[in-house]
Amino acid sequence: MRSLLRVELTRLRWRRAILLLLVAVVAVPVVFGVAVALETVPPTASDRATAARQAEQEAEQPYVEDELANCQDSPQDYGVGDASDLEAACEEMIVPRPEWYLATQELDLVQQRDDTGLAVAAFISVLLLLAGATFAGHDWSSGSMSNQLLFETRRLRVWTAKALAVVLVSGLLSLVVLSGYWVALWSLARSRDLPSSNAILVDCLQDGARGALVAALAAFGGYALTMLFRSTVATVGVLLAVAVAGGALIAVLGIDAKYQPQTNLSAVVLDDATYNVEVPDECFMQAEPPEGLDCDEEKVLPARDGSIYLGSLVVLAGAASVLSFRRRDVP
Amino acid sequence: MSDLVIETSGLRKEFRSRRGGLRVAVHDLDLAVPRGGVHGFLGPNGSGKTTTIRMLLGLARASKGRMEVFGHPIPSALPQVIDRIGAVVESPKFSPHFSGRQNLLLLARAIGVPRSRVDEAVETVGLTGRDKDRFKSYSLGMKQRLAIAATLLKDPDLLILDEPTNGLDPAGIREIRDTIRDLGERGVTVLLSSHILAEVQQVCTSATIIGNGRLLASGNVDELLRTGPSAVRVEVDDPAAARSALGGAGFAVVPPTAGETAILVESDAPSEVTRVLGEAGIWLSALTPIRRDLESVFLELTEADTLGHGPDAGPDAGPEARA
Ligand SMILES: Nc1ncnc2c1ncn2[C@@H]1O[C@H](COP(=O)(O)OP(=O)(O)OP(=O)(O)O)[C@@H](O)[C@H]1O
Ligand SMILES: [Mg+2]
Repeated sequence: MRSLLRVELTRLRWRRAILLLLVAVVAVPVVFGVAVALETVPPTASDRATAARQAEQEAEQPYVEDELANCQDSPQDYGVGDASDLEAACEEMIVPRPEWYLATQELDLVQQRDDTGLAVAAFISVLLLLAGATFAGHDWSSGSMSNQLLFETRRLRVWTAKALAVVLVSGLLSLVVLSGYWVALWSLARSRDLPSSNAILVDCLQDGARGALVAALAAFGGYALTMLFRSTVATVGVLLAVAVAGGALIAVLGIDAKYQPQTNLSAVVLDDATYNVEVPDECFMQAEPPEGLDCDEEKVLPARDGSIYLGSLVVLAGAASVLSFRRRDVP
Repeated sequence: MSDLVIETSGLRKEFRSRRGGLRVAVHDLDLAVPRGGVHGFLGPNGSGKTTTIRMLLGLARASKGRMEVFGHPIPSALPQVIDRIGAVVESPKFSPHFSGRQNLLLLARAIGVPRSRVDEAVETVGLTGRDKDRFKSYSLGMKQRLAIAATLLKDPDLLILDEPTNGLDPAGIREIRDTIRDLGERGVTVLLSSHILAEVQQVCTSATIIGNGRLLASGNVDELLRTGPSAVRVEVDDPAAARSALGGAGFAVVPPTAGETAILVESDAPSEVTRVLGEAGIWLSALTPIRRDLESVFLELTEADTLGHGPDAGPDAGPEARA
């Protein structure tokens, strides 16, 4: 088994198309990281001075006074109905502040987790899914699968060795790449004297590890489906169709949004995800929702549920793949 | 231990066709390949040779029947015997983006064979110098050579070659023929499927002929050549007289072609022919027994088969190798 695994790792390494995809896996977080770094460059002293001047000028505009008066008259409209110091709350809402006039924002790691962190993990997962599918598809399109089976006839072993190679390479690579991404952003925040406690870093790295897990599962899924369909194109086609038609179907049939793949994906990567549900009309009929009726439109999907969802899909694909590969004739 | 290297009984393969029907590619085939020597596996296009070979190698699942290789049941015991089997199935199938050498290396590593073996195999098939080029840049003959090199990685006791000379140039065909004959003489059993019957006749000691997935004949090549009527070519001064004399004695005679003085007489007893002619006072200037070749045997058998009245596949169809 070990020699078979080594053979498959070599096969991966020698395939140029797969190497290109792996290079892209490294490039994606680099691009995102550079973009984040540039977007959050701290403003210079003159930037700040300009912004302060703009804020001051704006504050002298007559509409500010009017708005402040309105706010104090009907605080509900401004969302400050239950503030203890109404005047201060209204001023905070309405009076222009210098940071409103700065082009860049501060690097906020917590914010980045929801933003680029999720995007990078999703990008990497798609790339690795394609890598897994390409890896398996090549054996079928070239017909070399039959030749391989003349040297190792135990199909379960062949299937497993290839799956292990795909999962090992994609899991390790995405773990390294995602950890690198977070360590780089965290170091950047630290060098700019922005909030960057160790606890934040740990949270980020955990996101990275969960992202790597998802990426490895995606690669495995791409591999397993391609071993089932025996064609990379078929796998990509089926996945696209499922993503588009499945998502639409779930929406049209009014099935709970927690069954949307992307909701579950973010739940796993970010530890939980919020999604919206439709609530009964009665919720809007009176000022206070009726007793015993769940009128909360926002729900939380915990990471555990997301993992069960994605895990079942992967197990299903894997089982179908291995059964088909063991039974069907190989051309 | 049985002295059959490959034995199948009642082997059957059905394919489900697109329109929902069944196509029987192999019909209750009893195949017997004796140990040692080169065994021809012959049949027209679509007669089920490749399908049979794929079942023997575990690439296709038999619908029915029993198979044994080296006395081990196939496919269950295939892992025990696969290291002793080298095979080329139809067109050579390798990874087009890897070089010939890389392809061989991957296969060699899977079975724990050292790198030096790859060098040897490359050299044996005459690919040295081109082995580092991508497989997709190879000519058909070079691909075929690489496939044969792959079978040599294992040092096999049984070689299964499905049209191994397809696409080879005359020198290549001869090299492969010599290699095959050589291997056969060294005790390796070779199952050789080919359409080039002159080739087969030159190297094979025994052969099986199938048609439409059924066994038509099987046995030593000499035995196969003796099946059916043989003929003698008779040269006389007066062909017309000879024809009427022989016809009167009950021989089937083919008249001479224009400008020829020779007639063909269907008979496996040349002495009878001379006696009849002598009694009629006709003296022979030459008498040549016509040797049947594999091609004519093959065409006779398979022509009858496509017309739908070929001999039934069964234990008494043709001389059996097991006899
Ligand atoms: N995968 C398949 N699906 C359906 N039918 C098949 C399949 N493979 C082979 N067949 C059919 O089985 C029959 C035997 O085919 P096979 O390839 O074994 O013939 P062959 O004797 O090797 O012919 P050739 O001399 O042309 O190589 C043919 O009728 C073919 O169409
Ligand atoms: Mg064939």
